[in-house]
Amino acid sequence: MIKNYIKIAWRNLVSQRLFSFINISGLAVGLAVCMMIMMYVAHEMSYDRFHENADRIFIPQQSFTMNGNTMNMEYMSYAAGEIIKQRQPVVKDYTRTMAYFKPVIASNPEKPDAKFSEKNLLFADGNFFSFFSFKLLSGSAQHVLDRPFTVVLSEDMAKKYFGDENPIGKTIVLKTDSAFTYQVAGVAENNPSNSSIKYSFVTSNQSLLQMKEAKLYTGTKDISFGNFLPYLLLNHASDTATLRRSLDLMAKQDKTFDKVHYSLSALSTTHLKSNFGDSSNLKYLKIFPLVAVLILLLALANYMNLSTARATLRAKEVGVRKVSGASRKTIAAQFYVESALFTTLSFVLGYVLCYAFKPWFLNVLQLKIDSSFLYSPMVLILLAVLFIITILIAGSYPAVILSAFKPVATLKGKMSKATGGVAVRKVFTTLQFALSVGLIICGIVIDRQLYFFRHKDIGINRDNVVMIPVHNTFGNNYNAFKQDVAQLSGIENVATSHHSMFHGYDMVSINGKTKDDITMVASWMGDDQLIKTLGLKWKYAPATGERLAGMDRLVINEAAIAKLHLPVDPVGSYLQSGDQKFKIIGVLKDFNYSSLQSEISPLILFTPPAKFPFFKRDGCNLFAKIKAHTNLPTLLGKIQSLYKKYDADTPFDYTFMDDAFNAQYQAEDRLSSIFSVFTYITIALASLGLFGLAAFTIEQRTKEIGIRKVLGASIGSINSLLSADFLKLVILSIVIASPVAWWAMHNWLQGFAYRINISWWMFAFAGMTAILTAVATVSYHALKAALANPVKSLRSE
Amino acid sequence: MIKITELQKYYRTEEVETIALNKLSIEVKEGEFVAIMGPSGCGKSTLLNILGLLDDPDGGSYLFNNIEVADFNERKRADLRKHNIGFVFQSFNLIDELTVFENVELPLIYTGVPSSERVGRVEKVLDKMQIMHRRNHYPQQLSGGQQQRVAVARAVVNNPKLILADEPTGNLDSSNGNEVMELLTDLNEQGTTIIMVTHSEHDARYSHRIIRLLDGQTVMENIMI
Ligand SMILES: Nc1ncnc2c1ncn2[C@@H]1O[C@H](COP(=O)(O)OP(=O)(O)OP(=O)(O)O)[C@@H](O)[C@H]1O
Ligand SMILES: [Mg+2]
Repeated sequence: MIKNYIKIAWRNLVSQRLFSFINISGLAVGLAVCMMIMMYVAHEMSYDRFHENADRIFIPQQSFTMNGNTMNMEYMSYAAGEIIKQRQPVVKDYTRTMAYFKPVIASNPEKPDAKFSEKNLLFADGNFFSFFSFKLLSGSAQHVLDRPFTVVLSEDMAKKYFGDENPIGKTIVLKTDSAFTYQVAGVAENNPSNSSIKYSFVTSNQSLLQMKEAKLYTGTKDISFGNFLPYLLLNHASDTATLRRSLDLMAKQDKTFDKVHYSLSALSTTHLKSNFGDSSNLKYLKIFPLVAVLILLLALANYMNLSTARATLRAKEVGVRKVSGASRKTIAAQFYVESALFTTLSFVLGYVLCYAFKPWFLNVLQLKIDSSFLYSPMVLILLAVLFIITILIAGSYPAVILSAFKPVATLKGKMSKATGGVAVRKVFTTLQFALSVGLIICGIVIDRQLYFFRHKDIGINRDNVVMIPVHNTFGNNYNAFKQDVAQLSGIENVATSHHSMFHGYDMVSINGKTKDDITMVASWMGDDQLIKTLGLKWKYAPATGERLAGMDRLVINEAAIAKLHLPVDPVGSYLQSGDQKFKIIGVLKDFNYSSLQSEISPLILFTPPAKFPFFKRDGCNLFAKIKAHTNLPTLLGKIQSLYKKYDADTPFDYTFMDDAFNAQYQAEDRLSSIFSVFTYITIALASLGLFGLAAFTIEQRTKEIGIRKVLGASIGSINSLLSADFLKLVILSIVIASPVAWWAMHNWLQGFAYRINISWWMFAFAGMTAILTAVATVSYHALKAALANPVKSLRSE
Repeated sequence: MIKITELQKYYRTEEVETIALNKLSIEVKEGEFVAIMGPSGCGKSTLLNILGLLDDPDGGSYLFNNIEVADFNERKRADLRKHNIGFVFQSFNLIDELTVFENVELPLIYTGVPSSERVGRVEKVLDKMQIMHRRNHYPQQLSGGQQQRVAVARAVVNNPKLILADEPTGNLDSSNGNEVMELLTDLNEQGTTIIMVTHSEHDARYSHRIIRLLDGQTVMENIMI
């Protein structure tokens, strides 16, 4: 029986090639999108769950409120982990890590010339490899980190620095603040793509303690904020409530932090919760599954649309089968088998598409997913579930509709209109177009907002400014370097800034009237050329003859006046931070020193003199304003050779301020590119749906069209008669989609302090796109029907 | 009114070429009522379709009111057709989604008659066909005879000079069939030229002249009195 079904299904597939192709590939595209997003979401959800004790590992988070601002801290002093373990019996074990905050320079002493800058040096306690479940390819988990200055390399690093040799026992030089030689004690697997703990090199905290700047990192001897992330292994996952309460109590008793509250975040949630850096993933994670489900439903609706439309042409077959004794059940089973065959082909094609476009997708999202993850049992199970759901849904509607045909009616060739399910099809098509229109509107709004960001006047002249990070390895040579660069032709001006632009800032506490009244304000530090180089404008300029540079002075922005309760023109007033006093010598007009997503907050700009040792100790950035029409590669080459003169080891690096500015909107950029692809796919699927609907309804109206032609209807009038029906659906879909899209985008825009207005032309544009697409799609069938010789259609009666 | 000379029509399918009309020559004068008879497959419908400008011949000449129309393009044919020719089919060919009134109104819409004038004209023919009381019914709600009366009403609403009828009584019982034949006779008496294909000798007796076809050629003409 099944064999007979499959045979007939196959014949239908082959004899109706165009239809089959459209049907299978349409569903395949939907499935491919769905699979891709499913893998992505599964990957995000799987973060850190591969650790054996994942469900019992927690990170304590401290939060405290100061002047109305709640601060969350998860980095603690070195001592914190041990103290917590001592005093909290539910904590079975702990391990601490400190990710070194900047790249280090690594080299194999046997090949001293091959130096590379490497990210992800991790300092960790000796039990790191037994606490977590990262696999060691060589070395024993208990002993690899039990001495100072031993290191575990990731597989990639082992290959990079030692090639095919066995690196165990060999040495490698890692230059942090100064260069240290480490003995390789083990090689670990590369950290899995779904690990929030990243490492290329893992060395012991004991090594850190031996460095001269150790004190800077380890912090106080009690529980306080610091640089270490303490991971706690609890006896039972359910101990969190107890632990949280007794940590709060402990904080109260110690009085070190009496206003602190603790919470515990599970290891497996840290990735999604982390709001540092790129928070875009969370945005995608909310939007994508919705889009995936919608696109899959769209594709399924199309599939059902087309296959029922096509199958009504087979009404006669159903009639004959019923007359020859088939029950409704067997007919339903037959169509189910057919659907299963089609769906299977779609699924296979979808899988191929998904893998073909995966690199592009991951690239746009700037993601890395281990290929081992893609073949993990979890993903395979998800795929199987998707497959089964698709078959069940895809087969159901056609089977029900088609098996319900009445034999007498179908045999007489009098398929009544109702059995075709035209109404259902119309609903499907309308929803599909509504989704397309909605996505187009969203796409336009996102695109315009990004354009607005890129072109808004932010009060900083950011064109042609190159930012060059300079490290403390420059020692006393920084000023000489700065002078050299300033001398180059093509350089208009140079300035020093502590931070590079659009990469964050410091906070400084400003004393209020009472001892407890402290206000935290964003702070920035630069030399006296910074304001000029960036083209910042004065609100209240310094008095003539007043020096800009000096340890005792600072500049604020307009927003700071109100926040710090200063007089309207505060020039000449004083601010106190700790026990230091500063004179306000000028007020800058507000400018956007961070992303346009937020309002301009109060800012203090310290302007120490050029000799200030802080820059030397901490490193800084040289901002060079380049004259227009300068040959950039040549100029950058010259700057690089000057740089190498003073610091041969640290790689030369530079960023244009423009690029840094634009990079702030990377998340939105990516969202926008992915969105446009989703939009194209949706439009394509909706058109496909309309194509099917048009084919079907027009087929049913051939007799009517024939009669109208005999009576004198022109081709144009028939074309518009047929198209008008579909246009009504499209217009309805625009009416449905517009308010929803408006609402969604209105909410999205609320996330930005600086935003565009949603205007009517965006809706008009989206509507026109939908209408033109629909007209083009329908016209194919409408014209075909209008051009057909009426004698033929009437003859078949 | 109609003069065809050596008219030819072939149908080519993958395997065979059928000669539906083989150098057929016929003349029909204005005001005539002609019946066309012959065995199934002899080319009667094909002839009617060509006469009605629904299809074009593969050879020969077709003078309609002394104008050569054999090589007219689709648009010109449609134009000539909608002003001059009415059709009645065996299977009525009414549009199921439109009411009786709307079906009859269609030809007027396509010839651009203003809607104020349309209502009066449609009502007049519906009255004449004695189907006025059914004006708001849909075709499925009518008997075969009633449907054919609607089809005739639709064929004549534009006052065509020529009515082509392809087995107009083929789907009707004899009393309904006779009614339709009476209608056609009335129209003919008022001056409309009628060409009718039929299998029934009885119906053919209503006509002035019978043209008998065999394999796409005239074999005999009977003149009735
Ligand atoms: N579209 C077509 N394709 C191929 N052959 C056709 C086509 N239309 C008609 N024929 C052939 O042309 C010949 C004439 O057909 P036509 O329909 O004119 O016959 P008819 O005299 O009207 O027959 P009937 O009395 O059964 O209606 C037949 O042999 C028929 O098979
Ligand atoms: Mg015939």
